[in-house]
Amino acid sequence: MESEAAGAPASGEVVNSIRERTISENSLVVLLQGLQGRVTTVDLRDESTAQGRVLSVDAFMNVRLKDVLYQDRRGRRRQLQDLFITGRNVRYVHIPDDVDMMKTIQNQLDKIHRVRSFGSEGRKEFSKKSN
Amino acid sequence: TVMQPPTNTVEEPLDLIRLSLDERIYVKMRNDRELRGRLHAYDQHLNMILGDVEETVTTVEIDEETYEELYKSTKRNIPMLFVRGDGVVLVAPPLRVG
Repeated sequence: MESEAAGAPASGEVVNSIRERTISENSLVVLLQGLQGRVTTVDLRDESTAQGRVLSVDAFMNVRLKDVLYQDRRGRRRQLQDLFITGRNVRYVHIPDDVDMMKTIQNQLDKIHRVRSFGSEGRKEFSKKSN
Repeated sequence: TVMQPPTNTVEEPLDLIRLSLDERIYVKMRNDRELRGRLHAYDQHLNMILGDVEETVTTVEIDEETYEELYKSTKRNIPMLFVRGDGVVLVAPPLRVG
């Protein structure tokens, strides 16, 4: 099973795998990827919840959270420094009120397209526009 | 990609969902859950973004003595929710009561 990119780039940057980028840009997972750095609550399939800061979300909806308040389905709460949730186990993601969805999606798509055109033209310093 | 200019014709079942964009919809989910909310976005997996959502979870308890089925439902409201598509069973215009 595809796991999240082991060499996950710093916040704000796109994953390197072309396959993952293509999967992402063709689904709503791009919105979740744009939530990087935000605090959200993920409701899992098994009725537990995890509230924490999004470190990364990959094309398969695998989520990494940090500084998490995890509540299991019995209601017991635990603090976790780092939590990895498999995409299949996600039921809902609560989107913070102040997220502009269209903008977030567009920004993520722009990042994906920027990386793509940069890569195919070879290395160029300060390449701001394509030829 | 995700943000595409809409076509006008209904060609496939997913197009029917497109007709409900920005409308309130009813979503039946697995595990006896239902959602009612405004459809902001969806994709081919039926991942959806719903606004102003009311989630209803229904449980059945059997009375030990009378063997009656007691249906209980729990509701909660969430302002903006991303729903993973594999939990979705059906999507419909909101059900009208009565």
